Amino acid sequence: MPAAGELEGRLHPLGLIVVARRFVGASLIPALALFVSAGTRVVLPAVLLALLVGVPLALLSWWRFRYRVSGGRLELHSGVLSRSVRTIPLERVRGIQVTEPFLHRLLGLVRVEVDAAAGGAQSAELTLPAVTRRQADELREALLAAGPGDESAEPPVLYRATPDRLAAAGVTSLSYLFAPAAIVGVVVNLADDLPGGYVERAIEAAADRFPTDAIGLALVGLAAAVLVLVSAATGSLLVDWDFTLRDEGERLTAARGLLTRRVVHLDRDRIRGADVRDTPLRRPFGLAAVTAIAAGVGGREGGTTLAPVLRRGELPAFLQAVDEHAASPDSLLVPHPASARSRRLVRAAVAPLVLLALFAALEVVWAAAVALVALAAAVPLARDRYRQLGHAFDGRRLALREGSLRRRWSELDPDAAVGFELRSSPGQRRAGLATLTVHLGQGAGSRRALDIGDEQATALLRRVRPRLFEPLRPRRD
Amino acid sequence: MILREPSTALDPRVRTLWLLENLMATGAAAALVLGGTVAAAMLGATTVAWVLGGIGALVVVGLVVFSFVSAGLDYRHFRYEVTDLGLYVARGWLWRRYQVVPHARVQTVDTTSGPLMRALGLVAVFVRTASAAGGTSVPGLTPEIADRLVEELARRAGLEEGT
Repeated sequence: MPAAGELEGRLHPLGLIVVARRFVGASLIPALALFVSAGTRVVLPAVLLALLVGVPLALLSWWRFRYRVSGGRLELHSGVLSRSVRTIPLERVRGIQVTEPFLHRLLGLVRVEVDAAAGGAQSAELTLPAVTRRQADELREALLAAGPGDESAEPPVLYRATPDRLAAAGVTSLSYLFAPAAIVGVVVNLADDLPGGYVERAIEAAADRFPTDAIGLALVGLAAAVLVLVSAATGSLLVDWDFTLRDEGERLTAARGLLTRRVVHLDRDRIRGADVRDTPLRRPFGLAAVTAIAAGVGGREGGTTLAPVLRRGELPAFLQAVDEHAASPDSLLVPHPASARSRRLVRAAVAPLVLLALFAALEVVWAAAVALVALAAAVPLARDRYRQLGHAFDGRRLALREGSLRRRWSELDPDAAVGFELRSSPGQRRAGLATLTVHLGQGAGSRRALDIGDEQATALLRRVRPRLFEPLRPRRD
Repeated sequence: MILREPSTALDPRVRTLWLLENLMATGAAAALVLGGTVAAAMLGATTVAWVLGGIGALVVVGLVVFSFVSAGLDYRHFRYEVTDLGLYVARGWLWRRYQVVPHARVQTVDTTSGPLMRALGLVAVFVRTASAAGGTSVPGLTPEIADRLVEELARRAGLEEGT
């Protein structure tokens, strides 16, 4: 029995099934291709051979996989042919994520991913593919500095998502506006890969039956719109089902998901700020999503969702609960100079104008009409993009806002910045503008003030970091 | 002017370095144009060869001029300074960038010197932070000045020598 604070273990025996499933999944398509092209006489021996080699290999690799926490280190032993031991000092462990994919849930297992700082900007991730929930809990207590929480009382819930809100969030997310290109790409790729041209035939069949009268077209359009909205709502429900954020004192714990249940633990002292995102569809309903700007939490720009959908009225109290110094989302932002509006307008209008001129010259009427519509849509969008630009500093937190279709309001702790950058293109200089970027580091990404007035930028920097930027004030002589 | 310019310029030899680098890129472009033109001429596509060669020659001449101009302008617009609390670097003449890295956030300071730089007696200093985007660099210093800069940055960052 290991001493207190020490721990050792191996994967759960049922973990073999999880590992095997991945192996089968990877080899399914080549096996099928072999079956189609070579028939049973070749395939049967091949499968037998694979089983004969694969099963002992899988057993051996399961047997060799051990983890141990002792002497302030996490050790991971693995490998069949080339054995490896990975050692990570516990103070380097930045976070731990417990996931329950569908198959794991059936077997009562979880997957544990340990995120560790590996010097510089990189991070290393260790994965325990299948352990029991108890093992995961023990590991968490052993790895995270915070120690065991108060077990007797259920930690207070900061946020819980309701299904109706999640459905509303999916419908108003607008992310499907950006998705069609990706879907078309996937379908075209599939069409190339699948034998027999099924996709082409399906498209042809659909094209043959496609209605040409106005009512038919309108019905198809309506059906497509309903389908998109229903799938958006379903996606949001699946991913964020019963999203629950708990306050465990030193850390926050977010659990979510219907089929795959994910639990993310986030140390409070890694939180550098928060992003609040919404869309033009969400604004009338006063809905927004909140993610933490946090150092060293798995990959994507330090985004850990704190609340997938929240009413604006609940936002100030929620942000306060996550971070006591959080800036108020209701406080007024300083607007950027009017020249920034001209810049937004020019940048939005150039592409449609060029296309319009091109198609008009080529006398492609329908394309020119599309370009005209795009131009008409670009102008109000550009005006809104300008209206949303703004910044503020309340003495502790810097607030920045930009974007229209995907608006983002960020509040962040400038003391966490690892670098400041002021850029200006020739166009920006002529308009007296610049882009101010604050780099946060350790995976927390950067946030910027787009087209901020140059005088505003220097004044802001002098307020945010007086001792750093006062000496850089232009000398007047 | 929104921030004052940093105090120190790079070593003037960096102009030669950047000019040579620009000319090498131009040379690669010229080789491509030449190869394309010769191939077209050998395949008997005379018109294509003339058009490709003509436009290519113009582009290459433009690139040569730009190589000289931009090396000079880049040098004139690159300045750096070590202030009490941070490293302050300004670079670029078309797209201007002012970078400030607080000493307290510096993780590593290192120097590199490629073959071309060594031939010119130049060294580049790289300053890295916890963010991939947050660092900066001071290219083109003499080894003595680079050593002094590295030492000062490391001292102010509280790094041990050699890290």
